[in-house]
Amino acid sequence: MNRTRAIRLAAALTLAPLALAQNDNPAAGKDAVSPPANLVFPGPLTVPADQAAGQPNSQGTTFVTPGMPTLGRRVSSGQVTRFTNDFNPAFSFIVDGQAQLSEAENGADGADAFLRVFELGANAWVDPNAWAYFTAVAEDEGIGIEEAAVHYTGFGNKNVLRAGRFFVDFGKQMQTHVHDLRTLERPLVLREYLGTELGGDGLQWDSWTTLGDATVVRWSLGAFASLSPEGEEDADPANTPFASVVEGTKRADDFSYTARLTGFTEVGERGTLQLGTSARLVPSYELGLDAGSIAGDLSNTVWGVDVTYGWVGETGIDSWTFGGEMLFNTGDVGAELTGVNDTDPADYTVVDDSLTGYFAYGDYAWDRFNAVGAQFSSAEVVGDERSELEVYYTRMFSEFHRLRFVVGASDSDVDGSGSKFAIQYTTILGAHGHGVNW
Amino acid sequence: MDLVVRIVWLLAAFVLASLPAAAREREAGAKLKVVATIPDLADIVREVGGERVEVSSIAKGKENLHNVIARPSHMVALSKADALVQVGLSMEMGFIPGLLEGSGNPQVRPGGKGFINASDGWQPIQVPEVLTRQGGDLHPQGNPHMNIDPRAGRHFATRIAEGLIALAPEWKAEFEARRDAYFARLATSEKRWAEVGRAWKGRKLVVYHQEFNYLAEVYGLAIVANLEVKPGIQPTPNHLAQVIESMKREQCTVIATALWSKNDFVARVAEATGAKVVELPNMCGGIAGTDSWIAMMDLVHERLAAVFGTPVPPKQ
Repeated sequence: MNRTRAIRLAAALTLAPLALAQNDNPAAGKDAVSPPANLVFPGPLTVPADQAAGQPNSQGTTFVTPGMPTLGRRVSSGQVTRFTNDFNPAFSFIVDGQAQLSEAENGADGADAFLRVFELGANAWVDPNAWAYFTAVAEDEGIGIEEAAVHYTGFGNKNVLRAGRFFVDFGKQMQTHVHDLRTLERPLVLREYLGTELGGDGLQWDSWTTLGDATVVRWSLGAFASLSPEGEEDADPANTPFASVVEGTKRADDFSYTARLTGFTEVGERGTLQLGTSARLVPSYELGLDAGSIAGDLSNTVWGVDVTYGWVGETGIDSWTFGGEMLFNTGDVGAELTGVNDTDPADYTVVDDSLTGYFAYGDYAWDRFNAVGAQFSSAEVVGDERSELEVYYTRMFSEFHRLRFVVGASDSDVDGSGSKFAIQYTTILGAHGHGVNW
Repeated sequence: MDLVVRIVWLLAAFVLASLPAAAREREAGAKLKVVATIPDLADIVREVGGERVEVSSIAKGKENLHNVIARPSHMVALSKADALVQVGLSMEMGFIPGLLEGSGNPQVRPGGKGFINASDGWQPIQVPEVLTRQGGDLHPQGNPHMNIDPRAGRHFATRIAEGLIALAPEWKAEFEARRDAYFARLATSEKRWAEVGRAWKGRKLVVYHQEFNYLAEVYGLAIVANLEVKPGIQPTPNHLAQVIESMKREQCTVIATALWSKNDFVARVAEATGAKVVELPNMCGGIAGTDSWIAMMDLVHERLAAVFGTPVPPKQ
């Protein structure tokens, strides 16, 4: 990246102006074409435009930057040019299954196989300015709504207002559904500080602008009535403190807030660099166990700084992607067992601290069908320091199903080390689409 | 009262935000900013638009159109463009829909006056009768690789001229004159290509991907097999064995590939069959000396003629 571009990007990340220009949107009309009279080649060359088979793409792929999900991304919202569903919602089903063999120093060893995700999604434009979608997942005996939101684009060209329930805009991986991740799990530090998934009910405003010819800057602000991090599935609420926010009517400081500023620019002929910073503020929350509250009126802020670099070969077939994020978890970061009874809230003490963690990964895809990578993550957590490494190979059979092999190792000051070998199979039926930002 | 004030502020913000901003109008006399999806279209926009247009291309000549990665400069260019020219037929579906949605420029979206779908009116081949993923990476409107058809330059120029005239009617006469001059140059090339291709009727070849089917259709070439199992689906050992068997049975001695093709597979089949491999450009600029569409088609014809051992008349 040359110095000027780096300065521009840094400036943009500090103070980016709002773009308000709006273009008109007139209807287009095309006359029929008469075949040229002086053709050398035989056969029909043209037919009137209104009989033409070629229809323009009006929906389809969401815009993606390096390091974002790839499976099914090319048909992510509507695929109107693939199948005729211009006016009907585009439905999709995701099946994500896993088989694994694990070994733990202080835990259960053995083999297991399970259906990790069964997801139903639908998305469609509901008027010229609004795109809506939902994602429901099978949970135990019922159905959970992970996302149900509308993106309104009528405020201007580069502004989007998102309302409903959706994954928050924090870094590049928190918006991603688990089946779309580059490897089995979201990085450890994200799971520890933000939750395995982080969906909120609220509003988010997005905007972006250009700087020069090769730099784009985007920012977002969100306010959520509930921002409920989903904890580890195997965590027992009887003896593992969980967070909850105020239910019912709220004051301003009972809402949770998010912000993100990111810019990306070109580095050389084939490279793209993206920098970003994110924040999630929970001004008021409560920590508790099944048996009752540990403490209320707690607050917590998580900050993140991320960097991603993508390089694509000249044919577009092979690519390298490197990325990472540093996170700072500040304020009331959790509760520590200071007594002897781990199911008694009175035996816990809230920890007010500043914790740090990070993750980094590198992927190499040598063609459209094969990719390898490694992801490492480390995090300070209350009373422990943990790390995790996953090395993975992904084989895409087509755009719509893949097999992944993962070897993982974990280490914890408290729980010792562990390792696992897993096979993940994911398939997408239909037109898959999430409201993922770039 | 405090709550009422907050609601009023919120409503005011919504109203202000929803007011339509001034439409971005091109200044009188200013060049048209045109973004083309592939360099072939960019070349023809330059031919028709001349000094009145400023053109850029999203895809580069060596890229596989299924794998074009959107870059910041693409977003910037599209957000400021007066026109987008695409082939259509789902050819650019891997990158254009997302860029159009992301760029926030309604003028160049379908329905906008700056959206030029260059395949409008084209009669595509290989339109699938059944749309199923069993068919691989199907294009529902038919084979989109029309830019390797010797008739495509004329068709593209027609559509592009229409689109530019709709955007800048004050330059109608100029665009029409440039288009007609291009047609005149094309006529000379078309005559030469037709002469070259006349000797190929019934000749057999194998291709990696279905990129050269229009060319085969025009000249009566027989495509014996595709190295891909189905469009977009990588060859398997079994499939390659079948291809090798077909080539031997059909006495096919030529394999045509594009720059992006998996040429290790091609090499394996060529070794097993003794076939000659001819690498053909599939977009302008991918191979030296193919910066224009006419030059690219010249090279396509010359390379195929060389591999078939057929004569090539000199350029006029």
